Amino acid sequence: MRSTRQRRILARIVSKPSTLLAPAGIWLIVFFVVPLGVMMVYSFMPRGVYGGVDSGFTLEHYRRFLDPLYLSILLRTTLMAAGCTTICLALGYPVAYAISRARRWKHVLLLLVIMPFWTSFLVRTFAMIFLMRDTGLINSVLMRLGLITEPIVMLYTPFAVMAGLVYTFLPFMILPIYASLERLPTSFLEAAEVLGAKPSARFRRIIFPLSLPGVVAGSLLVFVPALGSFIPSDLLGGAKQMLIGNLVQNQFGAARNWPFGSAASFVVMAVVLLGVMAYLRSGRGELATSLRDIG
Amino acid sequence: MTGRLPRWLGVVAGSVFLFLHLPILILVAFSFNASRFSAGWNGFTLDWYRAMTRRPDILRGLYLSLEIGLTSAVISTVLGTALALALHRYRFRGRATLESMMYVPLVTPEIVVGISLLALFAALNISLGVGTILIAHVAFSISFVTVIIGARLAGMDRSLEEAALTLGADEFTTLVRVTIPQLLPGIVAGALLAFTLSFDDYVITSFVTGSGTSTLPVVIYGMVRRTIEPTVNAVSAVVLGMTTLLIYVADWISRRGAK
Amino acid sequence: MTKGCTRREFITSSLTASVGLGLGAALACEPVRQEEMPGDSMVGGGALEDELTIYNWSDYIGTTTVSDFEREFGVRVIYDTYESNEDLLAKLQAGARGYDLICPTGYAVDVLRAFDLLAPLDRSLLSNWENLSPEFLGRSFDPENQYTVPWLWGLSGIAYRADLVASPPDSWGVFLDEAYRGKMTQPDDMRDVIGCWLKYRGHSGNSRDPEELAQAKADAIQAKENLKSFVSAPVKDQLIAGDVWIAQLWNGDTAQARAEEPEVAFKIPREGSMLYLDSMAIPRSARHPKAAHAFLNFILRPEVAAGISDRSGYGSPNAGALPLQTRPGLVPTPEEFVRLEYQEDLAEATALWDRIWTEIKVG
Repeated sequence: MRSTRQRRILARIVSKPSTLLAPAGIWLIVFFVVPLGVMMVYSFMPRGVYGGVDSGFTLEHYRRFLDPLYLSILLRTTLMAAGCTTICLALGYPVAYAISRARRWKHVLLLLVIMPFWTSFLVRTFAMIFLMRDTGLINSVLMRLGLITEPIVMLYTPFAVMAGLVYTFLPFMILPIYASLERLPTSFLEAAEVLGAKPSARFRRIIFPLSLPGVVAGSLLVFVPALGSFIPSDLLGGAKQMLIGNLVQNQFGAARNWPFGSAASFVVMAVVLLGVMAYLRSGRGELATSLRDIG
Repeated sequence: MTGRLPRWLGVVAGSVFLFLHLPILILVAFSFNASRFSAGWNGFTLDWYRAMTRRPDILRGLYLSLEIGLTSAVISTVLGTALALALHRYRFRGRATLESMMYVPLVTPEIVVGISLLALFAALNISLGVGTILIAHVAFSISFVTVIIGARLAGMDRSLEEAALTLGADEFTTLVRVTIPQLLPGIVAGALLAFTLSFDDYVITSFVTGSGTSTLPVVIYGMVRRTIEPTVNAVSAVVLGMTTLLIYVADWISRRGAK
Repeated sequence: MTKGCTRREFITSSLTASVGLGLGAALACEPVRQEEMPGDSMVGGGALEDELTIYNWSDYIGTTTVSDFEREFGVRVIYDTYESNEDLLAKLQAGARGYDLICPTGYAVDVLRAFDLLAPLDRSLLSNWENLSPEFLGRSFDPENQYTVPWLWGLSGIAYRADLVASPPDSWGVFLDEAYRGKMTQPDDMRDVIGCWLKYRGHSGNSRDPEELAQAKADAIQAKENLKSFVSAPVKDQLIAGDVWIAQLWNGDTAQARAEEPEVAFKIPREGSMLYLDSMAIPRSARHPKAAHAFLNFILRPEVAAGISDRSGYGSPNAGALPLQTRPGLVPTPEEFVRLEYQEDLAEATALWDRIWTEIKVG
């Protein structure tokens, strides 16, 4: 049993916002904001001859990014992330819609969707490799059935990279959309039906627009990680493509050019920030509730 | 919602479901396959699981990942719960700023998180190892926990708390005896999410590991790059089994809490 | 929760962010220092430490080397592996401490010495030094072998499936041959790939000349159409499985693949290739220098060196090891040796090579 004095101290601690937020706030500042600051400073320093940084100030790394070579990498990555987001939307919306309609099995279905979300992304990427290799399962089955004579080349192509990305991020799209669909007041739909609206009109005019916050949240949860990803293009793409994630990773690895890598990272962050601002404009509520539903 | 589901919609949804789960199921199935190059089914075997236990790097990685995952989950949950309480219950200057700052990790690409921490540790001359991995994992987990618990706080009924306070309990007792039990499903969900994020993380960890501190994802990545041996399937199956178990536990707890 | 950000909130968050960034700026200006080890030059005698951490290439040691050492000396060994010099350099530069022994290639030693990351060896603890062949000593990256003990040497060439290709490929130009499209790989390594195309045109594999490099880039981009992927040592499995027919690969890894699939053969292209020497070195931040020296002296024994060479398939620099080897590696003949050149560090040309490598990957 605690003494009253101890209890009073503890009570004081938990009733003041400053003490509650201090540990987390300090951790976030020291290990999140400050590192970004360090990286920002690095991005303005010239590279040392053997790697590392020299003292000084230079804009060369950012200027280097204006080079068409690097801009093309950024463009290609953005397009790929956008493509992945679109495919995830096309595939994920029907699933979210179907789950929200299912009455008996809703909980089970939701659990089944959550499962891939919680499993290791490396494992899921490996599953794709396993299936798509020349001597992998898909080719073996098709050859066994006599449908093809030569293995279809699936692995180490841009198709494989996109398939891997979609496979990884699909659950991130389904869950927020489901969350917003769940919250649709049925009265709207009933009224629409009673008034004679056709199903397609109901969807176009009522359901989809109202689920937009979920769509935006899901798109963000897919677009941002897809933009920075580099492992799928390594493992599934045969390292034949260079995406912005590969470029950054290379600068901190083989190229030993930390300043340029830092500058490139901030360019990526800038693209992400654009996406985030678009999201903030549509309302922040869905992100929280969908994350809650995941739990 | 009213109305039947159009057939084509059901088909599309079903196919996507299959697409989500089939690769993993096949992966697990072939971890029992007695053929090294896995072209065809050669018979059932537990050899690859046995091989897995004979590899010290896999076992060490598993142990390290569990250790770091649990520690990170505990720290992140405590810090995140406190932060969520502060953000949702009180008004203070800089609250919006703090809230925005809390959202930043959620929208920062993993590679940027990893290298920025690497840059920090290099600048401070901190040697890389288990400590740095733990720091990194907590740093990106706090925000997730905060958001989840925050959502629960927002929808929580405060009458019980108010009753406790009126009956003379101080804030601390109220917190421990009333608030936290009500929040428990969210806390458990947050802790499990933090554990999973830490256990499965590859990108950020790969930048801040030091010598002899390969977590399981780092080991798996090396294996996936190096070889096509079914031992990787076995390791994957184990990891999948663990996370599936965790999901069911989380679900069970949250369903109990909802009553 | 409020919807969206008010303008004032936005300004305050930006201000806080800037303060944080400013703090970060102050930190970034501190140069990265290296720790001074007590008694750096003379490790001295005394009892061995009970642990040793080795960071080496994967598949680059004998089957029982580590366990034999552990048993004889009572030291516990932690063995980590990496796939490229760049991985090693990046890790050490970033501040990974705790490695007692590393195995950099020649040009990586140049970089490590430039950053003063290596500890000098204490030759008094290396009684077996005499077993080393003189031709592997005194190389340009460590003229007096103050820091390094030669470990294995190897070269890059063309590994191929003799049963699946029409005729043994004897030129780097095979990668431009469309007949084998989709069945060939080159390493995910800029030194090897760009080096290959430099040699193809008769230039040095260490060239810093922008024109020669531009031509190499053009060749590489053309060849990329025919490649299945860029993959280094992991291609072994694919060669064995028959997914890949022709791969640019090092001789030792080819020997390892050959052990499982006898149809795997090796050829040194007529234009020549790159030679390299990997050496063991002790980082300045090593925590168990005595055990490190004991291990180095252990592997200088002819029979241990022979075991390492047998298993890895690479050449041993240990003169006494050759007669003891049960499986001689795929070593070049004397006249092939003439066409080989050592890989050297690129110094300031690294940035140029990196840009060319990026262009190859993007093109």
